[in-house]
Amino acid sequence: MTFRRPPLELELVTFIPSSLLDFISHAYAHGKLNRFLRVPLARTVPCSPSYIARRTRTSMAARSHSLFTPSSPPPKFGPRTGTLTIRRDGQEVLHKTETPALLTATSRGLVPHLSRDHVHRTRVIRHIQLPFESFIDRNPPVPTLVDGPHPLHTFLGYSSDSHILTMTLRDPSDGRKMPPNGNDFVAAHCTRGVRKVTTSSWNTFVEKCKPDIVKRLTKSIERSIAWITNLLKVPAAVHSDTAHRQSRHVFLQMAGGINPEARAEFAERLTDPVDHKDADALAPYNTLDDGISGYVIDLLPLRAALAVESRKPIDEGDLAGGLVRVSDRHRSSLDSSSRLAELLQCSLQVLPEEKLRVLNSPVSPHEVLRLVRDVGVDLLDSFWAQRAADMGIALDFRFPVPDDLESSHTTCKPPRKRVNGKSDLGHNLFDSSYVHDHTRLASSFPDGLTADKSEVHGHPACDCEACSPRAPSSRVLHSAVDVHAWQDSSCPTSPNALQPPMTRSYVHHLLHTHEMSAHALLAMHNVTVFSAFLDGIRATIARGPEEFAREVCRFEEVYDEELVLWSEAEVMWLQVERARGKGRLAREKEKQVESTIGTAVDL
Amino acid sequence: MQFEVLAKCHTTRARVSKMRLAHGVTMLPTFMPVATQAAIKGLTPQQVEALGVNLILNNTYHLNLRPGIQVLKEAGGAHKFQGWNHNLLTDSGGFQLVSLSKFTKITEEGALFASPFDGKPTMLTPEESISIQHAIGADIVMQLDDVVSSLTVGPRVEEAMWRTIRWLDRCIEFHQKSGRDDVQNLFAIVQGGLDPELRDKCLDEMIARRDRVAGYAIGGLSGGEEKDIFWRVIKQCADKLPEDRPRYSMGIGFAEDLLVCVALGVDMADCVFPTRTARFGVALTPTGPLNLRLSKHAADMRPIEEGCPCPTCASGTARAILHHNATLETATAHAITQHNLVFQARIMGGARDAIINGTFPDYLKNFFANYFGDAGYPEWCVNALRSVGVDLLEGRSDVKVISGDGAKWEYSDAA
Repeated sequence: MTFRRPPLELELVTFIPSSLLDFISHAYAHGKLNRFLRVPLARTVPCSPSYIARRTRTSMAARSHSLFTPSSPPPKFGPRTGTLTIRRDGQEVLHKTETPALLTATSRGLVPHLSRDHVHRTRVIRHIQLPFESFIDRNPPVPTLVDGPHPLHTFLGYSSDSHILTMTLRDPSDGRKMPPNGNDFVAAHCTRGVRKVTTSSWNTFVEKCKPDIVKRLTKSIERSIAWITNLLKVPAAVHSDTAHRQSRHVFLQMAGGINPEARAEFAERLTDPVDHKDADALAPYNTLDDGISGYVIDLLPLRAALAVESRKPIDEGDLAGGLVRVSDRHRSSLDSSSRLAELLQCSLQVLPEEKLRVLNSPVSPHEVLRLVRDVGVDLLDSFWAQRAADMGIALDFRFPVPDDLESSHTTCKPPRKRVNGKSDLGHNLFDSSYVHDHTRLASSFPDGLTADKSEVHGHPACDCEACSPRAPSSRVLHSAVDVHAWQDSSCPTSPNALQPPMTRSYVHHLLHTHEMSAHALLAMHNVTVFSAFLDGIRATIARGPEEFAREVCRFEEVYDEELVLWSEAEVMWLQVERARGKGRLAREKEKQVESTIGTAVDL
Repeated sequence: MQFEVLAKCHTTRARVSKMRLAHGVTMLPTFMPVATQAAIKGLTPQQVEALGVNLILNNTYHLNLRPGIQVLKEAGGAHKFQGWNHNLLTDSGGFQLVSLSKFTKITEEGALFASPFDGKPTMLTPEESISIQHAIGADIVMQLDDVVSSLTVGPRVEEAMWRTIRWLDRCIEFHQKSGRDDVQNLFAIVQGGLDPELRDKCLDEMIARRDRVAGYAIGGLSGGEEKDIFWRVIKQCADKLPEDRPRYSMGIGFAEDLLVCVALGVDMADCVFPTRTARFGVALTPTGPLNLRLSKHAADMRPIEEGCPCPTCASGTARAILHHNATLETATAHAITQHNLVFQARIMGGARDAIINGTFPDYLKNFFANYFGDAGYPEWCVNALRSVGVDLLEGRSDVKVISGDGAKWEYSDAA
């Protein structure tokens, strides 16, 4: 029986759960894999080792080429740039992203605080990570009922031309403890409680929803091989009735926790030949890594485990009834970064460096810089920057650190300096020092209007809607005479014209009066600043690794990694929330009880 | 202000007019969204403008507390502070004083209230109210009126009516002395409770001051009075008020209320209702409100309203995703808010077109038939429109008529 791979068109990319590897390790330990090695991998393929090796390399190279291409042969570990290419409908290139690139976090399918027009206005939003779990409160999940070639895009309001969706099951920035996964299901959280999601269910969701990239996580190593085997086998069975030929690219969450040996072992097994009984179905993959296009690291559980190990567990107390999240308390440090780099290197040592590396939940630019420098990463999520918007923080930093950080901005004050001489990474706009501050949000970036008028060639402006607001390109007309208003000479705005930036004093006012538009403005701004940060990383990497390392050191010297500002903002933010009656313990306890039924329900 | 009536309905008292203020032209009749604290909740000013809105309301009471006059002056006024470039109306703060302050005592001098910050007794005089509104810089400013609940009876109502007239004079004098009366336009507020005689006296007095007043609001009517009395007061005022002045019914926002007021000769209204109900997951449509929290919307892939030009419907946002996230994600509050503001604007825009085209009576009939359908028409609407020559029941013997307020709501089954 021949299993032919469909043409290489990226439509779906799947993250393998680490359950697979556990099975492999078990099989290996019991000698089953030894037997497997002597058996031809696929009956149609001559089994000489060199042939297998060639096929492996070819298929790996072919798949890597279609998804991620490093700019130059990357070192095993070190800063690297590259291009992520998304194709649909044949070989047509839909979208190219220069890496390291931004992965935007979502909540319940939406970018927090951003209406559709604001999502589209914020052009740095391109790759979007979509936890699917909020949709499993209904059976079948509603997104699977949507018609058309791009159901998830359509349902959630993203543009299939400009947005690349990565579908996961769980939210990588959600640090809540979950009931254990089973052998053929994963537990996930939705408003109606904890639900079980089986392999076949997940496959069905993925098939129906057609995101660009799919990822699924499991937390533990002791899971069944069924997940990964089924996922890799699917193309042959499923594509017969779909208009689009799809190829499954697998992204793997690297397991092993904070145990370097476990992480290394996990990676070793990826490069071991597949089990005999699955060989046919998994052909032409000879090793599991053959079927894998990228590697995912979730930093949240690693950091939490490291903190416990070093006896400085992260404070999970008084989460203000759910307002504060566990992840808000995470901090990075030189020490944790070097431990994390070491753990990532254990995972990636034996694996091909030309495959995509995804980093979830970094909690500071310092952490990002060190992992880019010491490991090399390609896609990073901006949950930290987005979450800062919830807490009233406007980010204000650049990489590389500008030479004129201190001097140039006489009217627009840079962030506060702490006692230790380090600058904050932004502004806690709850602070009373902003009551009379009528300047733009970030001193590091001119606003659009100023940059437009200015003849001095300075830093590029922040293009977000808070710093470079534009009059709408059109207004809805409600009657035939509305034109009298909009086209009258007295009309103060003209379509698309740049307007003065939103001020710190205004956002301060909005925060204290609990106005939601504060968070929309800050969300757009912060994700734009974070994207500019990644722009700076790419530009600096291009100047060579020594230069990059120097700039990382400079950044560490200048900016505060302890995020004292965040702790201050959290306090003030909670004060405002509590004044509105939120976060009261009793009410929140009640809500939590309602949202976890107590018994998991099968889908 | 330049105010020009462009068209009149041949049957009702409705009219279309063009009002030019310092921040541009607003076509009337129109609905004014409420930006209580210098923001339409959840939206940026650019988003509001994109919806086709060019006149919004700020609350003087709130802005005086936060951010305060000092900050507003530094910023160059409320327009610049909030980034709103078009027309702005401020109320006087009187209503909030009475409704929000723990302690308010009205004296001839002004309203003595407890400051929400430190509880200290603070006085708001007519002059002070106008002064604050000057600093805010609104294009239309309202006199400070002596507000009594519409349910109050007895001599207090008459006392408040006369005092309101005296306070109007003080507002006029202060406003004119400031030299700002060419850029900022002062409106009077007709009071007198639900008593036609008191209303009549108030109207006479205020109309006598027409040359020093840019427009007239009909106040004292958003406090739970019976709708069948409410429209009669509106009608009485609108019948008498000068045609060459805009008429503003304060605190009106339900679709049927707006259209009845327009038919009676009102040009502007404001209300928090459409934006507030949006945040609770209720979308307003020509066939009635949709409570998107109900599970029946969970898998409905249709937009809120087919053909609606708002950003939410025009981008094909399904009811299902709004259901999924209503009251859970702020982005969904924004989406429904955008829709509801466009709904309000479309009702008024459709009225403008119909008045100009001479089809306003049909517009009213069609609207009511679609909006209330089989639920039945509120009797007070039937009465009110009949008084201006429109018989909602004409050709519709099947339709029920409901006494009372007849509000049409779907109750949530997902608490």
